[in-house]
Amino acid sequence: MKTKSYYWVMLLVGLVMGIILAVQFRVTRHITQNTPALDRPIALAQQLDKARESRDRLQVRVDELRARLDEAAAGPELARMKEELDRAREKAGMTQVQGPGVEVTLNDSSKVLQPGANPNLYVLHDEDVLRILNELKAAGAQAISINGQRLISTTEVRCIGPTILLNKNQRLSPPFVISAVGHPDTLANSLKMKGGVVDSLQFWGIQVDVKKVDEVTVPAYTGGLVFEYARPEK
Amino acid sequence: MSQRTTVYISIMLVAAILGIMLAVQFRVVNRSPGGISANRAEELLTDLKQINREQENLKKEIADLNYKLNQVNKGKSEAIEALRGELNKVRMSAGLVTVTGPGVEVVLDNPKNETEPGMPPGLFIIRDEDLLKVVNELWGAGAEAISINGQRIIATSEIRLAAPFININTRRVVPPYQVLAVGNPDTLVSSLELPGGLVEYLRSLGIDITVEKHDDLTIPAYAER
Repeated sequence: MKTKSYYWVMLLVGLVMGIILAVQFRVTRHITQNTPALDRPIALAQQLDKARESRDRLQVRVDELRARLDEAAAGPELARMKEELDRAREKAGMTQVQGPGVEVTLNDSSKVLQPGANPNLYVLHDEDVLRILNELKAAGAQAISINGQRLISTTEVRCIGPTILLNKNQRLSPPFVISAVGHPDTLANSLKMKGGVVDSLQFWGIQVDVKKVDEVTVPAYTGGLVFEYARPEK
Repeated sequence: MSQRTTVYISIMLVAAILGIMLAVQFRVVNRSPGGISANRAEELLTDLKQINREQENLKKEIADLNYKLNQVNKGKSEAIEALRGELNKVRMSAGLVTVTGPGVEVVLDNPKNETEPGMPPGLFIIRDEDLLKVVNELWGAGAEAISINGQRIIATSEIRLAAPFININTRRVVPPYQVLAVGNPDTLVSSLELPGGLVEYLRSLGIDITVEKHDDLTIPAYAER
């Protein structure tokens, strides 16, 4: 009897251990099979960093080549055409612009939310930025940039989470500083007009600060100009 | 050793092993990925794709500039030709040249029937910000040139309500608003008609909006004032 009960206990221990081991094994294997999903974001983030770096290098190269093209075309016969090119570049936003203007600083709402209030209403949206830019253009701004990114005709503004995407994936983070060259009083007044853009943004508690400045620098657009679909009319 | 002690020791052993296993199991499960990583990966992937596309464009630009540089160094007539090419491209980007190409036509018109009772009147008339959003969405989807009712949109173009009309390039435009955009028609249309996207939103306001692909559109040059 003594030995018999001892055997029973041993059998039980063995059974339980066996089951647990089996379960453990299955779970572990399941997890190792799924590990790529765990590492994917990290791998992508590294890839992204690399891609950004090489993008920046390419951009520098484009600028260099443009400058060399200008140099090479320094002959007297080409001077007239060169002048025309400079004028066109100015209009396309490919030259740095300096002059009096305004600086508009934007930040998300500092309002303390009531419980149950929709926090989405109190953050900066693309349309807010679009309206400010539009207002500045309507008030005669000659050149505009956000956080050092020049606005050209094809510039889009997208707010994703707390960041703004501009000029096809240039990511900007807050605070957003919009610099505009133009008549400082006209620009500032058009923004601060009663019932205007600043008024309506402040309703949502979004922090807007408009400052007139004597000298503001708007950098040149540095990306590529590639037309895949559009052709000049014959 | 009494029978009892043996049983006790065996039970203790089982309990101990069970405990260790449970602990290990918990740790392993805790380490497994949460729901966020899929979203994060998706977001990163979109970023990466866009940057790669941009790199492609920059490479094309470099090839183009290299070619022009070569031509310039060859001789005078080639130099003039190369400069002219660059000039044309910059002028196109500045909106100073009439362009043609495939793209989309978006037509927006004010709601025809009376507004629903209980809604403030005039809320659903097309506003400057609606047009701004359409234009912004099209640029975001890779449009290369855009015009509204014949007004080319350039870097300094405003789209602004000067009641009761909307001004673009300080010219008055009236509904229906015809937005023309040159670019990849499929990309442009799909970005506008995304579920929960801009077209759906404008339609829900009652705005009459149609989106149509075209093989050949002509977008006028910016008229200098």
